Amino acid sequence: MTQGLGATGTPVVSFENVRKTYGKVRAVDGLTMELRPGETVAFLGPNGAGKSTSLDMLLDLRKPTSGRIAMFGSDPYHAIKEGRVGAMLQSGGLMPEVTVRELVTLVTGFHPKPEPVEQTLRRAGIEKFADQRVDKLSGGQTQRVRFALAIVGDSDLIVLDEPTTAMDVETRRAFWDNMKVEVAEGKTLLFATHYLEEADQAADRIIVINRGRLLADGTPAEIKSRAGAKRISFHLDQIDEPFLLGLPALVNVEIRHDQVQIQSSDSDRTLYAVLDAGYRPRDLEVSSLGLEQAFLAITAEDDKNYSEPAAASFAEAEESMR
Amino acid sequence: MKNTLALARAEVMRLRRNKRYAIFTVIIPVALYAVLGPQVKGAHAYGVDYAAYYMIALAALGAFSGALTGNSQRISQERKDGWVRQLRLTPLPPSSYVVGKIAASMALTIPSVVLVLLLGRFEGGVHMELWKWFAIFGAIWIGSLTFTALAIAIGYRFMPDTVQPIAMGIYLIMSIFGGLWFAVSGGFLQDIAKFIPTYQITRIGTDIIAGVSIPMTAFIVIAAWFAAFLALAIVSVRATAETV
Repeated sequence: MTQGLGATGTPVVSFENVRKTYGKVRAVDGLTMELRPGETVAFLGPNGAGKSTSLDMLLDLRKPTSGRIAMFGSDPYHAIKEGRVGAMLQSGGLMPEVTVRELVTLVTGFHPKPEPVEQTLRRAGIEKFADQRVDKLSGGQTQRVRFALAIVGDSDLIVLDEPTTAMDVETRRAFWDNMKVEVAEGKTLLFATHYLEEADQAADRIIVINRGRLLADGTPAEIKSRAGAKRISFHLDQIDEPFLLGLPALVNVEIRHDQVQIQSSDSDRTLYAVLDAGYRPRDLEVSSLGLEQAFLAITAEDDKNYSEPAAASFAEAEESMR
Repeated sequence: MKNTLALARAEVMRLRRNKRYAIFTVIIPVALYAVLGPQVKGAHAYGVDYAAYYMIALAALGAFSGALTGNSQRISQERKDGWVRQLRLTPLPPSSYVVGKIAASMALTIPSVVLVLLLGRFEGGVHMELWKWFAIFGAIWIGSLTFTALAIAIGYRFMPDTVQPIAMGIYLIMSIFGGLWFAVSGGFLQDIAKFIPTYQITRIGTDIIAGVSIPMTAFIVIAAWFAAFLALAIVSVRATAETV
């Protein structure tokens, strides 16, 4: 099924130059991206980057101001109504006054390709409190019920907006174990997250957006190397700033007194150049950057290059849209 | 259609578990009739026995207050909580939510109206031909749709905190000026009441009992309010489509 879709070349999701503006605020500003069948894609961006707005538009809850969004080659509305998408949003709520099992059974019934209710309860890890009332659950339990509603049917695409917030470490691990079962069935998964180690571990591909635009798109390893995969730090008595700035494979350099911190996409080349020039740095340390640092580096650089005053108000704008 | 019915069934199940809803639709009208009904024996209102008038008025009170306060509060709360958004992400057609609400509220109005009518028959001693009972039931039942439409408009427009006083205010106006708590008489109050849908619904009921012809204005007033509230509901649902 998944392979077949891949062969015909129809992307699961495609954004073509999508914009969404609220007055003068450009929440999403010309976003173009594509999801291919079977991929697990992490959707990253700082608060107010336009993640929620993008997911809302993908799920037909908001209309783009311009541009085109397609899902399985058709429009999102029809894909959703055909049951091809299972989604869990931060802002999604549950019907109160019914039990968890009643709610899951009800929503399962809406689906053209329903999964067995017991299986959904098990995979979401909610069978233990299936007979409790929905309005009596804790935050983490509610979150898992919302996830259950995203997997009640055999959908081809699963969209999750920060699925593991309000979950403890244990629950989060169990969540991803269950998620891997879904992905192993050939489903495409798009998830937004704040936990970068989650993106690093679970995703085949990471899409980073900032201020409503695509900033980086690649495997976790590619994102890390783009940001400068290694950090080199050392002490140097005689600092020659122009020389340091001219080092090969350099991404970023920070100098504080005699302390130098270099971000490099190829630490060997950078370091050898320092040594070849006759320097003998002290307290030398070379360390790998995690995805989190890579992400911060990429977005910080982008923000530095951008100095329009409107940028500061994005977070507020996204907040006020709720 | 099957899915919309399933949603409506779930709504009915929820409402049956909801005490607040039971108080407004069933307990208040039934209790009022049981307590106050016998005390006004012998009096007359709108050309019928007071016991008959009061039966109609309280059946209408239960039907319209359930449709209005219950639905508006719930719709507003469920929009705020994100349940309406969540439903949009399912294969369910977008209209199902509102259709399900209407169907559930119509279904739950039945027992409340029937109970009060039975009370009127067996406690209040109201007698009439069988078809008249059905006609009265139908008039009140269909008439309550007017307030279901209004409830949808309010629920989609306002946040739960605001809905509460608005629904309460309309409830009071419609009950007092509509002559549901006590029959309106005298020039001024009756002049106002003529334009109130709850009054006209009650008058249709009492006119059926009295066996007099129902004036066209009664239907026109109810239809006009229904059309206005329906238009308001449609505009409200459309206007908020981007912010569900």
